[in-house]
Amino acid sequence: MSGTSAHDELRALVRDAVNALAVAPATSEVRTSDLSIDEELNLHAMGWEAVELVSGYSVFSIPMGVWSWGLGEISAAAEAHAKAFSAATRRLHHEAAAAGGHGVVGVHIERSVFSTHIAVSLIGTAVRPVGAGRVGDEHVFVSDLSGRDFARLVLAGWEPLGLATGASFVYAPRRTIGAAIAQQSQNVELTNFTEAIYTARELAMERMQRSAIDLHGSGVVEVKVLEGPMSFAAHAVGFTAWGTVVRLVAGEHHRMRPSLAVSLDDPAIVFDAATLG
Amino acid sequence: MSDAVNDLPEATGRRLEELEHGLFTSDLSVNEFLLVKEAGFHPVGFVMGSSIYHTGIQTRKWSQSQELTKLTEAMYNARELAMTRMEEEAAALGADGVVGVRLDVNYYEWGKDAAEFIAVGTAVKAEDGVSRRNKLGKPFTSDLSGQDFWTLAQTGYAPQGLVMGTCVYHIAHRGLGQALSTTGQNVELPNFTQALYEARELAMTRMQDESARLGATGIVGVRLEEKSHQWGSHTIEFLAIGTAVTRGDEAVTLPTPTTIISLDN
Repeated sequence: MSGTSAHDELRALVRDAVNALAVAPATSEVRTSDLSIDEELNLHAMGWEAVELVSGYSVFSIPMGVWSWGLGEISAAAEAHAKAFSAATRRLHHEAAAAGGHGVVGVHIERSVFSTHIAVSLIGTAVRPVGAGRVGDEHVFVSDLSGRDFARLVLAGWEPLGLATGASFVYAPRRTIGAAIAQQSQNVELTNFTEAIYTARELAMERMQRSAIDLHGSGVVEVKVLEGPMSFAAHAVGFTAWGTVVRLVAGEHHRMRPSLAVSLDDPAIVFDAATLG
Repeated sequence: MSDAVNDLPEATGRRLEELEHGLFTSDLSVNEFLLVKEAGFHPVGFVMGSSIYHTGIQTRKWSQSQELTKLTEAMYNARELAMTRMEEEAAALGADGVVGVRLDVNYYEWGKDAAEFIAVGTAVKAEDGVSRRNKLGKPFTSDLSGQDFWTLAQTGYAPQGLVMGTCVYHIAHRGLGQALSTTGQNVELPNFTQALYEARELAMTRMQDESARLGATGIVGVRLEEKSHQWGSHTIEFLAIGTAVTRGDEAVTLPTPTTIISLDN
């Protein structure tokens, strides 16, 4: 039966993929990096070099039907989110360590939430101090800061430790028809939604902070948040936060003492066809 | 709204507690983070406030320009709720102020006329331990970026608060006769000009009133935004928003900026 053979083929494919993930990629002399020239220069100026473009990817399933009806947090979704992120991060660590990196900078984070699954993709450039030896998976740091920001942070006496993430999805109770009609012409706060968003936000931010504390960080910079109702379930709201965990390693923060400068460049004039319409 | 903190769900307590124990979170970029440190402040936490608000209905007259006070009130009230909740969080962290404040209005498919008003920013605390709170004893708020915040500090001015004024205005439609009589001619449309002027005036005046309440000497970085939201083309919200500042006591001599030509394009 063709159904069974397709099933077996898929199994073989998944088995191959899992085996491939377990084996370290062969190292070659050719290096790839998605850093700009500026970023490469910044890294070299502080004695670091780019090693390899590395990635981590993970998809986790969400049980059917959790989005439509319920009360409080949709914990199955938050759990899938946390697992997908940590699996993707683990693979990124593994690839980076195998390539000889001590850390990954400029990580592009792509995350998609669907009603049935959550996909997380992390792509960044592994970096190391010039000519440094290998370190174990667990000593590799991951950061979504650009090479330039990484360099500036290190010069100020800080080091990135890893990515902290947190997500929460909460079901917002529906207003009763009576309440909706009574409020039709009034200025009122919709407390059911405000409270749902607050719950999601607090849980997500708290989880992000918890993962920062677990990494022994003293702070999280460039926190980014995504929030709002899910496109496939208008009565479920989601909140996701992530950022790079940092720690002060030098005895004290090194000041930069910037000076004031006025750039004499004229702003670039971009031809904008829309203005003609 | 003095009991805003009590309104927050239980998890808030834990989040703010962790922040009080030394961990900081911030949506500042690395550059902004380093410049805020340079200005003598340390970030203490990413703070936010939000309110999902249903705006009421007000009837408009086809041919009459008028302020829609009910809608103005809604826009004020909802933003105030979000701002106050954000300030409460900052105050709970013992912060001196909030920098990089962003105010947003998001419309979702939750139903007609419902929108989320949200205020987010990074709470900061002075490293020398001297309070920088404003005249009202509250943390100052400011929509200046980390770069602007540092530059403002060099000039000896201190931010006092994010001030805003808003006005939702209905601009009258022109009558058929009017429209016909101006066909093919170059003429100013005085009723439109007049209506836009009045709406802007109202918004700006309200913003200045807010800054006077803070005892500010000026408002920097003022933006004037005009949005129709979901009300159709003849109803517009005029929002004036900026950071109220006061001058410090010490005389400051600004270094002359050097001029540069950058080689990157």
